[in-house]
Amino acid sequence: MTEQAMRARHINIILLAAVLLLAACSGRYIGTPRVAMLDYQTNGTYGSLYALATAHAESINAAVKADTLHPGMYAEYGVALALMGHDGEACRMLNSEVKAFPESRRMVRRIKERLLPAMVDDTLAGRRDTADMLKLQNWAYDSLAALQHLPWVAAVIDSTDTVRVMMQTPVDSVEYPIRLTANQKRELLLEEQHREELRRKEVEDSIAAAKQAKIDAREQAKADKKKAKKEKEKAKKEADKQKKLAAKEKARQREQEKQRRAEERKAKKQGKEAAE
Amino acid sequence: MKRLYLLLFLPLLMVGCKGEKKLARYNEMYQQEPTVIYVAPLNDLSMRRAVRETVDSVYNASLNIASRQLYLTATDPLASHGYYVLGPLASAQIAATETRTGRQLRNDNINDLHTDLGIDAVLFIDLINWSHTSNSWSVEAEYVLRSTVTGVELLHVHVNATKILPTDYNGNPKPLKDDLEFAKQYGCDLETAQRCRLVEIMNQYVLKDLPAGKRARKHEAEQYAKPHPEYFNLRIHRDGSVERLKDEEL
Repeated sequence: MTEQAMRARHINIILLAAVLLLAACSGRYIGTPRVAMLDYQTNGTYGSLYALATAHAESINAAVKADTLHPGMYAEYGVALALMGHDGEACRMLNSEVKAFPESRRMVRRIKERLLPAMVDDTLAGRRDTADMLKLQNWAYDSLAALQHLPWVAAVIDSTDTVRVMMQTPVDSVEYPIRLTANQKRELLLEEQHREELRRKEVEDSIAAAKQAKIDAREQAKADKKKAKKEKEKAKKEADKQKKLAAKEKARQREQEKQRRAEERKAKKQGKEAAE
Repeated sequence: MKRLYLLLFLPLLMVGCKGEKKLARYNEMYQQEPTVIYVAPLNDLSMRRAVRETVDSVYNASLNIASRQLYLTATDPLASHGYYVLGPLASAQIAATETRTGRQLRNDNINDLHTDLGIDAVLFIDLINWSHTSNSWSVEAEYVLRSTVTGVELLHVHVNATKILPTDYNGNPKPLKDDLEFAKQYGCDLETAQRCRLVEIMNQYVLKDLPAGKRARKHEAEQYAKPHPEYFNLRIHRDGSVERLKDEEL
Protein backbone atom coordinates (compact mmCIF):
# COMPACT_ATOMS: atom_id res chain seq x y z
CA MET A 1 0.00 0.00 0.00
CA THR A 2 1.41 3.38 -0.96
CA GLU A 3 1.93 6.23 1.47
CA GLN A 4 -0.82 8.28 -0.18
CA ALA A 5 -3.35 5.49 0.16
CA MET A 6 -2.39 4.98 3.80
CA ARG A 7 -2.91 8.69 4.48
CA ALA A 8 -6.30 8.64 2.77
CA ARG A 9 -7.32 5.66 4.89
CA HIS A 10 -6.22 7.45 8.09
CA ILE A 11 -8.25 10.50 7.11
CA ASN A 12 -11.31 8.30 6.51
CA ILE A 13 -10.95 6.68 9.93
CA ILE A 14 -10.52 10.08 11.61
CA LEU A 15 -13.63 11.41 9.82
CA LEU A 16 -15.68 8.39 10.86
CA ALA A 17 -14.54 8.77 14.45
CA ALA A 18 -15.41 12.48 14.40
CA VAL A 19 -18.90 11.75 13.09
CA LEU A 20 -19.45 9.10 15.76
CA LEU A 21 -18.14 11.47 18.44
CA LEU A 22 -20.46 14.24 17.29
CA ALA A 23 -23.41 11.87 17.24
CA ALA A 24 -22.60 10.74 20.77
CA CYS A 25 -22.17 14.30 22.04
CA SER A 26 -25.53 15.48 20.73
CA GLY A 27 -27.24 13.69 23.64
CA ARG A 28 -30.31 13.05 21.51
CA TYR A 29 -31.57 9.53 21.10
CA ILE A 30 -33.97 9.27 18.22
CA GLY A 31 -35.10 5.72 18.80
CA THR A 32 -38.86 5.79 19.14
CA PRO A 33 -41.06 7.12 16.33
CA ARG A 34 -42.65 9.66 18.67
CA VAL A 35 -39.39 11.40 19.56
CA ALA A 36 -38.28 11.21 15.94
CA MET A 37 -41.62 12.63 14.83
CA LEU A 38 -41.35 15.55 17.22
CA ASP A 39 -37.83 16.14 15.97
CA TYR A 40 -39.01 16.10 12.36
CA GLN A 41 -41.95 18.41 13.11
CA THR A 42 -39.61 20.87 14.80
CA ASN A 43 -36.66 20.79 12.44
CA GLY A 44 -38.09 19.38 9.21
CA THR A 45 -34.71 18.32 7.85
CA TYR A 46 -33.91 15.33 5.66
CA GLY A 47 -31.85 13.87 8.51
CA SER A 48 -34.76 14.00 10.91
CA LEU A 49 -37.01 12.45 8.25
CA TYR A 50 -34.48 9.66 7.74
CA ALA A 51 -34.36 9.11 11.50
CA LEU A 52 -38.16 9.02 11.59
CA ALA A 53 -38.32 6.44 8.80
CA THR A 54 -35.68 4.30 10.55
CA ALA A 55 -37.57 4.50 13.83
CA HIS A 56 -40.79 3.49 12.09
CA ALA A 57 -39.08 0.55 10.37
CA GLU A 58 -37.70 -0.68 13.68
CA SER A 59 -41.03 -0.32 15.45
CA ILE A 60 -42.84 -2.15 12.63
CA ASN A 61 -40.36 -5.02 12.80
CA ALA A 62 -40.81 -5.27 16.56
CA ALA A 63 -44.61 -5.00 16.30
CA VAL A 64 -44.84 -7.70 13.64
CA LYS A 65 -42.75 -10.04 15.79
CA ALA A 66 -44.85 -9.37 18.89
CA ASP A 67 -48.18 -9.31 17.00
CA THR A 68 -48.94 -5.82 18.26
CA LEU A 69 -49.25 -3.97 14.99
CA HIS A 70 -51.02 -0.65 15.53
CA PRO A 71 -53.16 1.04 12.91
CA GLY A 72 -51.28 3.57 10.85
CA MET A 73 -47.78 2.18 11.39
CA TYR A 74 -47.28 1.08 7.80
CA ALA A 75 -48.91 4.29 6.54
CA GLU A 76 -46.55 6.49 8.57
CA TYR A 77 -43.53 4.59 7.31
CA GLY A 78 -44.88 4.72 3.76
CA VAL A 79 -45.43 8.49 3.90
CA ALA A 80 -41.94 9.01 5.34
CA LEU A 81 -40.46 6.93 2.50
CA ALA A 82 -42.52 8.79 -0.08
CA LEU A 83 -41.30 12.12 1.28
CA MET A 84 -37.75 10.78 0.99
CA GLY A 85 -38.36 9.80 -2.62
CA HIS A 86 -38.44 5.99 -2.31
CA ASP A 87 -41.67 5.67 -4.25
CA GLY A 88 -41.73 1.91 -4.87
CA GLU A 89 -41.11 0.97 -1.27
CA ALA A 90 -43.52 3.67 -0.07
CA CYS A 91 -46.24 2.25 -2.31
CA ARG A 92 -45.57 -1.22 -0.94
CA MET A 93 -45.84 0.02 2.64
CA LEU A 94 -49.06 1.94 1.98
CA ASN A 95 -50.52 -1.16 0.38
CA SER A 96 -49.45 -3.19 3.41
CA GLU A 97 -51.49 -0.78 5.53
CA VAL A 98 -54.52 -1.47 3.35
CA LYS A 99 -53.88 -5.18 3.59
CA ALA A 100 -53.58 -5.10 7.39
CA PHE A 101 -56.40 -2.60 7.96
CA PRO A 102 -58.91 -2.65 5.08
CA GLU A 103 -60.81 0.36 6.45
CA SER A 104 -57.83 2.56 5.55
CA ARG A 105 -58.20 1.91 1.81
CA ARG A 106 -59.79 5.21 0.86
CA MET A 107 -57.53 7.31 3.03
CA VAL A 108 -54.45 5.57 1.64
CA ARG A 109 -55.77 6.21 -1.84
CA ARG A 110 -56.05 9.92 -1.02
CA ILE A 111 -52.47 9.93 0.33
CA LYS A 112 -51.29 8.22 -2.83
CA GLU A 113 -53.10 10.74 -4.98
CA ARG A 114 -51.08 13.41 -3.25
CA LEU A 115 -47.69 11.77 -2.88
CA LEU A 116 -47.57 8.96 -5.45
CA PRO A 117 -49.99 9.91 -8.23
CA ALA A 118 -48.46 7.38 -10.61
CA MET A 119 -49.20 4.52 -8.25
CA VAL A 120 -52.78 5.24 -7.28
CA ASP A 121 -54.08 2.23 -9.15
CA ASP A 122 -51.60 -0.18 -7.57
CA THR A 123 -54.00 -1.31 -4.95
CA LEU A 124 -51.97 -4.37 -4.11
CA ALA A 125 -48.39 -4.31 -3.01
CA GLY A 126 -45.60 -5.90 -4.94
CA ARG A 127 -41.87 -5.67 -5.00
CA ARG A 128 -42.13 -4.46 -8.57
CA ASP A 129 -42.58 -0.95 -9.84
CA THR A 130 -45.52 0.47 -11.69
CA ALA A 131 -43.81 -0.07 -15.03
CA ASP A 132 -43.57 -3.77 -14.31
CA MET A 133 -47.17 -3.81 -13.21
CA LEU A 134 -48.29 -2.17 -16.42
CA LYS A 135 -46.21 -4.61 -18.45
CA LEU A 136 -47.81 -7.51 -16.64
CA GLN A 137 -51.26 -6.07 -17.08
CA ASN A 138 -50.65 -5.63 -20.78
CA TRP A 139 -49.30 -9.15 -21.03
CA ALA A 140 -52.31 -10.53 -19.21
CA TYR A 141 -54.64 -8.52 -21.40
CA ASP A 142 -52.97 -9.59 -24.63
CA SER A 143 -52.55 -13.24 -23.77
CA LEU A 144 -55.78 -13.96 -21.96
CA ALA A 145 -58.35 -11.40 -23.04
CA ALA A 146 -57.64 -12.10 -26.69
CA LEU A 147 -57.98 -15.82 -26.16
CA GLN A 148 -61.00 -15.86 -23.91
CA HIS A 149 -62.78 -12.79 -25.35
CA LEU A 150 -63.21 -11.22 -21.94
CA PRO A 151 -64.19 -7.58 -21.47
CA TRP A 152 -61.10 -6.87 -19.44
CA VAL A 153 -58.49 -8.69 -17.42
CA ALA A 154 -56.26 -7.33 -14.70
CA ALA A 155 -53.07 -8.87 -13.42
CA VAL A 156 -51.96 -8.03 -9.95
CA ILE A 157 -48.81 -8.88 -8.08
CA ASP A 158 -49.30 -9.59 -4.44
CA SER A 159 -46.78 -9.33 -1.63
CA THR A 160 -45.36 -12.78 -2.36
CA ASP A 161 -44.55 -11.75 -5.93
CA THR A 162 -47.03 -14.14 -7.45
CA VAL A 163 -49.10 -12.98 -10.34
CA ARG A 164 -52.83 -13.30 -9.97
CA VAL A 165 -55.08 -12.74 -12.90
CA MET A 166 -58.53 -11.52 -12.05
CA MET A 167 -61.24 -11.67 -14.62
CA GLN A 168 -64.19 -9.30 -14.70
CA THR A 169 -63.45 -8.32 -11.11
CA PRO A 170 -62.72 -4.70 -10.26
CA VAL A 171 -59.43 -4.48 -8.42
CA ASP A 172 -60.98 -2.36 -5.68
CA SER A 173 -63.53 -5.00 -4.78
CA VAL A 174 -60.97 -7.66 -3.93
CA GLU A 175 -61.11 -8.55 -0.26
CA TYR A 176 -57.83 -9.01 1.53
CA PRO A 177 -57.37 -11.07 4.64
CA ILE A 178 -57.58 -8.87 7.69
CA ARG A 179 -55.07 -9.00 10.49
CA LEU A 180 -55.93 -11.67 13.03
CA THR A 181 -55.59 -11.20 16.74
CA ALA A 182 -54.03 -13.90 18.86
CA ASN A 183 -57.49 -14.87 20.03
CA GLN A 184 -58.77 -15.26 16.50
CA LYS A 185 -55.68 -17.23 15.54
CA ARG A 186 -56.26 -19.58 18.44
CA GLU A 187 -59.91 -19.92 17.52
CA LEU A 188 -58.93 -20.78 13.97
CA LEU A 189 -56.44 -23.33 15.25
CA LEU A 190 -59.08 -24.89 17.48
CA GLU A 191 -61.55 -24.87 14.63
CA GLU A 192 -59.02 -26.61 12.38
CA GLN A 193 -58.34 -29.20 15.09
CA HIS A 194 -62.04 -29.73 15.54
CA ARG A 195 -62.49 -30.13 11.80
CA GLU A 196 -59.61 -32.64 11.70
CA GLU A 197 -61.19 -34.54 14.57
CA LEU A 198 -64.51 -34.61 12.74
CA ARG A 199 -62.80 -35.80 9.56
CA ARG A 200 -61.03 -38.60 11.45
CA LYS A 201 -64.27 -39.56 13.16
CA GLU A 202 -66.02 -39.62 9.83
CA VAL A 203 -63.43 -42.00 8.37
CA GLU A 204 -63.63 -44.24 11.44
CA ASP A 205 -67.40 -44.19 11.29
CA SER A 206 -67.38 -45.12 7.61
CA ILE A 207 -65.03 -48.08 8.29
CA ALA A 208 -67.20 -49.24 11.19
CA ALA A 209 -70.30 -48.78 9.08
CA ALA A 210 -68.80 -50.93 6.28
CA LYS A 211 -67.94 -53.68 8.79
CA GLN A 212 -71.38 -53.52 10.29
CA ALA A 213 -72.94 -53.63 6.84
CA LYS A 214 -70.97 -56.80 6.06
CA ILE A 215 -72.10 -58.43 9.29
CA ASP A 216 -75.65 -57.33 8.70
CA ALA A 217 -75.60 -58.71 5.17
CA ARG A 218 -74.32 -62.06 6.43
CA GLU A 219 -76.98 -62.21 9.12
CA GLN A 220 -79.60 -61.18 6.65
CA ALA A 221 -78.52 -63.94 4.31
CA LYS A 222 -78.75 -66.44 7.14
CA ALA A 223 -82.14 -65.18 8.16
CA ASP A 224 -83.30 -65.30 4.55
CA LYS A 225 -82.12 -68.89 4.24
CA LYS A 226 -83.87 -69.85 7.43
CA LYS A 227 -87.00 -68.14 6.30
CA ALA A 228 -86.89 -69.85 2.94
CA LYS A 229 -86.45 -73.19 4.65
CA LYS A 230 -89.35 -72.50 6.93
CA GLU A 231 -91.49 -71.45 4.03
CA LYS A 232 -90.54 -74.57 2.15
CA GLU A 233 -91.48 -76.72 5.12
CA LYS A 234 -94.68 -74.83 5.52
CA ALA A 235 -95.47 -75.29 1.84
CA LYS A 236 -94.70 -78.97 2.16
CA LYS A 237 -96.96 -79.28 5.13
CA GLU A 238 -99.64 -77.41 3.29
CA ALA A 239 -99.24 -79.72 0.31
CA ASP A 240 -99.46 -82.76 2.56
CA LYS A 241 -102.53 -81.34 4.19
CA GLN A 242 -104.08 -80.67 0.82
CA LYS A 243 -103.20 -84.20 -0.26
CA LYS A 244 -104.75 -85.64 2.85
CA LEU A 245 -107.84 -83.55 2.41
CA ALA A 246 -108.05 -84.64 -1.23
CA ALA A 247 -107.69 -88.27 -0.17
CA LYS A 248 -110.36 -87.82 2.46
CA GLU A 249 -112.64 -86.17 -0.08
CA LYS A 250 -112.01 -88.98 -2.47
CA ALA A 251 -112.78 -91.56 0.22
CA ARG A 252 -115.94 -89.71 1.14
CA GLN A 253 -117.01 -89.58 -2.52
CA ARG A 254 -116.24 -93.29 -2.89
CA GLU A 255 -118.32 -94.00 0.21
CA GLN A 256 -121.17 -91.92 -1.15
CA GLU A 257 -120.92 -93.73 -4.49
CA LYS A 258 -120.98 -97.01 -2.62
CA GLN A 259 -124.05 -95.99 -0.66
CA ARG A 260 -125.76 -94.71 -3.79
CA ARG A 261 -125.08 -98.01 -5.59
CA ALA A 262 -126.28 -100.00 -2.58
CA GLU A 263 -129.45 -97.96 -2.50
CA GLU A 264 -129.92 -98.46 -6.23
CA ARG A 265 -129.35 -102.11 -5.84
CA LYS A 266 -131.78 -102.20 -2.97
CA ALA A 267 -134.37 -100.24 -4.94
CA LYS A 268 -133.92 -102.55 -7.90
CA LYS A 269 -134.33 -105.55 -5.68
CA GLN A 270 -137.44 -104.10 -4.10
CA GLY A 271 -138.83 -103.32 -7.56
CA LYS A 272 -138.14 -106.85 -8.70
CA GLU A 273 -139.75 -108.27 -5.66
CA ALA A 274 -142.80 -106.09 -6.17
CA ALA A 275 -143.02 -107.18 -9.78
CA GLU A 276 -142.77 -110.74 -8.84
CA MET B 1 -89.31 11.60 62.56
CA LYS B 2 -86.38 13.82 61.64
CA ARG B 3 -84.10 10.84 61.82
CA LEU B 4 -86.35 8.90 59.50
CA TYR B 5 -86.27 11.73 56.95
CA LEU B 6 -82.52 11.90 57.27
CA LEU B 7 -82.22 8.17 56.74
CA LEU B 8 -84.42 8.41 53.67
CA PHE B 9 -82.79 11.41 52.07
CA LEU B 10 -79.17 10.70 52.82
CA PRO B 11 -78.84 7.73 50.40
CA LEU B 12 -80.71 9.71 47.73
CA LEU B 13 -78.33 12.58 48.23
CA MET B 14 -75.36 10.24 47.91
CA VAL B 15 -76.75 8.70 44.72
CA GLY B 16 -77.32 12.17 43.31
CA CYS B 17 -73.71 13.10 43.95
CA LYS B 18 -72.46 10.21 41.86
CA GLY B 19 -70.81 11.26 38.58
CA GLU B 20 -72.19 10.89 35.12
CA LYS B 21 -72.30 7.31 33.93
CA LYS B 22 -70.20 6.18 31.01
CA LEU B 23 -73.19 4.80 29.16
CA ALA B 24 -74.97 8.16 29.35
CA ARG B 25 -71.88 10.19 28.54
CA TYR B 26 -70.97 8.19 25.44
CA ASN B 27 -74.53 7.41 24.44
CA GLU B 28 -74.07 8.67 20.88
CA MET B 29 -70.80 6.83 20.56
CA TYR B 30 -72.36 3.54 21.61
CA GLN B 31 -75.13 4.11 19.08
CA GLN B 32 -72.94 5.05 16.13
CA GLU B 33 -69.94 2.79 16.83
CA PRO B 34 -67.31 4.74 14.88
CA THR B 35 -64.30 2.78 13.68
CA VAL B 36 -62.13 5.25 11.80
CA ILE B 37 -61.22 8.46 13.59
CA TYR B 38 -59.28 11.28 11.96
CA VAL B 39 -57.45 13.76 14.17
CA ALA B 40 -57.80 17.20 12.61
CA PRO B 41 -54.81 19.57 12.78
CA LEU B 42 -54.46 21.30 16.12
CA ASN B 43 -56.20 24.64 16.47
CA ASP B 44 -53.68 26.56 18.54
CA LEU B 45 -55.42 29.58 19.99
CA SER B 46 -52.77 30.10 22.64
CA MET B 47 -50.11 31.25 20.19
CA ARG B 48 -51.80 34.51 19.32
CA ARG B 49 -51.90 35.49 22.96
CA ALA B 50 -48.34 34.36 23.55
CA VAL B 51 -47.00 36.33 20.58
CA ARG B 52 -48.90 39.44 21.61
CA GLU B 53 -47.82 39.31 25.19
CA THR B 54 -44.22 38.34 24.75
CA VAL B 55 -41.57 38.50 22.08
CA ASP B 56 -39.47 35.84 23.75
CA SER B 57 -38.65 33.49 20.88
CA VAL B 58 -37.36 30.73 23.18
CA TYR B 59 -40.63 30.80 25.11
CA ASN B 60 -42.62 30.64 21.89
CA ALA B 61 -40.49 27.77 20.56
CA SER B 62 -41.12 25.88 23.78
CA LEU B 63 -44.87 26.39 23.39
CA ASN B 64 -44.64 25.31 19.77
CA ILE B 65 -42.95 22.05 20.65
CA ALA B 66 -45.45 21.33 23.42
CA SER B 67 -48.43 22.03 21.17
CA ARG B 68 -46.97 19.72 18.53
CA GLN B 69 -46.59 17.07 21.19
CA LEU B 70 -50.27 17.54 22.09
CA TYR B 71 -51.22 16.77 18.50
CA LEU B 72 -48.76 13.89 18.10
CA THR B 73 -49.85 12.04 21.24
CA ALA B 74 -53.60 12.39 20.65
CA THR B 75 -53.64 9.35 18.38
CA ASP B 76 -52.20 6.91 20.93
CA PRO B 77 -55.18 6.63 23.32
CA LEU B 78 -57.56 6.30 20.35
CA ALA B 79 -55.49 3.51 18.81
CA SER B 80 -55.17 1.71 22.12
CA HIS B 81 -58.96 1.82 22.52
CA GLY B 82 -59.33 -0.11 19.26
CA TYR B 83 -60.13 2.69 16.81
CA TYR B 84 -58.44 2.98 13.45
CA VAL B 85 -56.53 6.26 13.49
CA LEU B 86 -53.85 7.40 11.08
CA GLY B 87 -50.58 8.69 12.45
CA PRO B 88 -49.70 12.39 12.40
CA LEU B 89 -47.55 12.24 9.27
CA ALA B 90 -50.23 10.52 7.20
CA SER B 91 -52.97 12.70 8.73
CA ALA B 92 -51.03 15.75 7.64
CA GLN B 93 -51.25 14.51 4.04
CA ILE B 94 -55.02 14.13 4.37
CA ALA B 95 -55.23 17.59 5.96
CA ALA B 96 -53.24 19.07 3.07
CA THR B 97 -55.91 17.96 0.61
CA GLU B 98 -58.67 19.54 2.70
CA THR B 99 -59.85 22.92 1.42
CA ARG B 100 -62.13 23.83 4.32
CA THR B 101 -60.95 25.72 7.37
CA GLY B 102 -61.01 24.25 10.85
CA ARG B 103 -64.09 26.29 11.74
CA GLN B 104 -65.94 25.04 8.66
CA LEU B 105 -65.00 21.45 9.43
CA ARG B 106 -66.26 21.94 12.95
CA ASN B 107 -69.64 23.46 12.00
CA ASP B 108 -70.53 22.47 8.44
CA ASN B 109 -71.68 19.20 6.98
CA ILE B 110 -68.69 16.84 6.84
CA ASN B 111 -70.48 13.81 5.50
CA ASP B 112 -68.16 13.80 2.47
CA LEU B 113 -65.30 12.73 4.75
CA HIS B 114 -67.31 9.58 5.44
CA THR B 115 -68.25 8.90 1.83
CA ASP B 116 -64.89 9.82 0.27
CA LEU B 117 -62.39 8.72 2.91
CA GLY B 118 -64.31 6.31 5.11
CA ILE B 119 -63.79 8.46 8.21
CA ASP B 120 -66.47 7.92 10.87
CA ALA B 121 -65.53 10.71 13.28
CA VAL B 122 -63.15 13.67 13.47
CA LEU B 123 -61.37 14.72 16.63
CA PHE B 124 -60.83 18.48 16.94
CA ILE B 125 -58.46 19.77 19.59
CA ASP B 126 -58.35 23.43 20.52
CA LEU B 127 -55.38 24.52 22.58
CA ILE B 128 -56.76 27.56 24.37
CA ASN B 129 -54.22 28.80 26.85
CA TRP B 130 -50.95 28.10 28.61
CA SER B 131 -50.16 29.43 32.05
CA HIS B 132 -47.60 28.76 34.73
CA THR B 133 -46.56 29.74 38.21
CA SER B 134 -43.31 29.08 40.01
CA ASN B 135 -44.08 25.42 40.57
CA SER B 136 -47.00 24.59 38.29
CA TRP B 137 -47.79 24.34 34.59
CA SER B 138 -51.33 24.66 33.27
CA VAL B 139 -52.91 24.10 29.91
CA GLU B 140 -56.48 24.72 28.83
CA ALA B 141 -57.84 22.75 25.91
CA GLU B 142 -61.06 21.61 24.33
CA TYR B 143 -61.67 18.22 22.72
CA VAL B 144 -64.54 17.68 20.33
CA LEU B 145 -65.22 14.39 18.60
CA ARG B 146 -67.73 14.94 15.82
CA SER B 147 -69.46 12.25 13.80
CA THR B 148 -69.15 12.56 10.04
CA VAL B 149 -72.29 10.49 9.52
CA THR B 150 -74.79 12.44 11.61
CA GLY B 151 -72.75 15.54 12.45
CA VAL B 152 -73.47 15.26 16.18
CA GLU B 153 -70.80 15.66 18.83
CA LEU B 154 -69.84 12.29 20.25
CA LEU B 155 -67.57 13.83 22.87
CA HIS B 156 -67.10 17.39 24.07
CA VAL B 157 -64.60 18.01 26.84
CA HIS B 158 -63.20 21.28 28.09
CA VAL B 159 -60.19 20.57 30.25
CA ASN B 160 -57.85 22.67 32.33
CA ALA B 161 -54.91 20.50 33.27
CA THR B 162 -52.36 21.58 35.85
CA LYS B 163 -49.10 19.97 36.74
CA ILE B 164 -47.87 20.82 40.22
CA LEU B 165 -44.21 20.15 40.82
CA PRO B 166 -42.91 19.22 44.27
CA THR B 167 -40.75 21.89 45.89
CA ASP B 168 -37.63 21.66 48.00
CA TYR B 169 -37.07 23.37 51.38
CA ASN B 170 -36.31 26.67 49.68
CA GLY B 171 -39.54 26.56 47.70
CA ASN B 172 -37.84 25.85 44.39
CA PRO B 173 -39.57 23.30 42.11
CA LYS B 174 -37.95 19.91 41.84
CA PRO B 175 -37.87 18.29 38.39
CA LEU B 176 -39.73 15.01 37.93
CA LYS B 177 -38.02 11.88 36.71
CA ASP B 178 -40.25 11.55 33.63
CA ASP B 179 -39.57 15.12 32.59
CA LEU B 180 -35.85 14.63 32.94
CA GLU B 181 -36.01 11.47 30.85
CA PHE B 182 -38.06 13.20 28.19
CA ALA B 183 -35.65 16.13 28.10
CA LYS B 184 -32.77 13.69 27.74
CA GLN B 185 -34.49 11.69 25.01
CA TYR B 186 -35.50 14.64 22.95
CA GLY B 187 -32.57 16.88 23.81
CA CYS B 188 -34.75 19.81 24.85
CA ASP B 189 -34.82 22.01 27.92
CA LEU B 190 -36.65 20.99 31.08
CA GLU B 191 -39.48 23.51 30.71
CA THR B 192 -40.38 22.17 27.28
CA ALA B 193 -40.21 18.62 28.60
CA GLN B 194 -42.53 19.50 31.47
CA ARG B 195 -45.07 21.03 29.10
CA CYS B 196 -44.80 18.10 26.68
CA ARG B 197 -45.38 15.55 29.41
CA LEU B 198 -48.32 17.58 30.70
CA VAL B 199 -50.14 17.58 27.35
CA GLU B 200 -49.32 13.90 26.83
CA ILE B 201 -50.91 12.96 30.14
CA MET B 202 -53.84 15.28 29.46
CA ASN B 203 -54.53 13.42 26.21
CA GLN B 204 -54.42 10.09 27.97
CA TYR B 205 -56.73 11.33 30.73
CA VAL B 206 -59.34 12.93 28.47
CA LEU B 207 -59.56 9.96 26.10
CA LYS B 208 -59.15 7.20 28.67
CA ASP B 209 -62.85 6.43 29.13
CA LEU B 210 -63.80 6.05 25.49
CA PRO B 211 -65.85 2.93 24.71
CA ALA B 212 -63.82 0.14 23.16
CA GLY B 213 -63.64 0.26 19.37
CA LYS B 214 -64.02 -2.63 16.96
CA ARG B 215 -60.31 -3.38 16.90
CA ALA B 216 -59.94 -3.47 20.67
CA ARG B 217 -58.27 -6.59 21.91
CA LYS B 218 -60.20 -8.66 24.38
CA HIS B 219 -57.68 -8.45 27.16
CA GLU B 220 -59.72 -10.45 29.65
CA ALA B 221 -60.42 -13.20 27.18
CA GLU B 222 -56.76 -13.39 26.22
CA GLN B 223 -55.69 -13.32 29.81
CA TYR B 224 -57.81 -16.16 31.05
CA ALA B 225 -58.07 -18.35 27.98
CA LYS B 226 -55.41 -20.90 27.10
CA PRO B 227 -52.41 -18.92 25.90
CA HIS B 228 -51.30 -18.73 22.32
CA PRO B 229 -48.61 -21.33 21.57
CA GLU B 230 -46.13 -18.57 20.79
CA TYR B 231 -46.76 -16.78 24.08
CA PHE B 232 -45.01 -17.54 27.31
CA ASN B 233 -44.88 -16.17 30.83
CA LEU B 234 -41.86 -15.33 32.90
CA ARG B 235 -41.43 -15.34 36.65
CA ILE B 236 -38.68 -13.03 37.90
CA HIS B 237 -37.20 -14.01 41.24
CA ARG B 238 -35.71 -11.73 43.85
CA ASP B 239 -32.20 -12.90 43.12
CA GLY B 240 -32.58 -11.76 39.52
CA SER B 241 -33.03 -15.18 37.97
CA VAL B 242 -35.73 -15.61 35.38
CA GLU B 243 -37.87 -18.70 35.09
CA ARG B 244 -39.95 -19.50 32.07
CA LEU B 245 -43.34 -20.94 32.99
CA LYS B 246 -44.97 -23.73 31.09
CA ASP B 247 -48.51 -23.63 29.82
CA GLU B 248 -49.77 -25.86 32.62
CA GLU B 249 -48.51 -23.48 35.30
CA LEU B 250 -50.24 -20.47 33.85
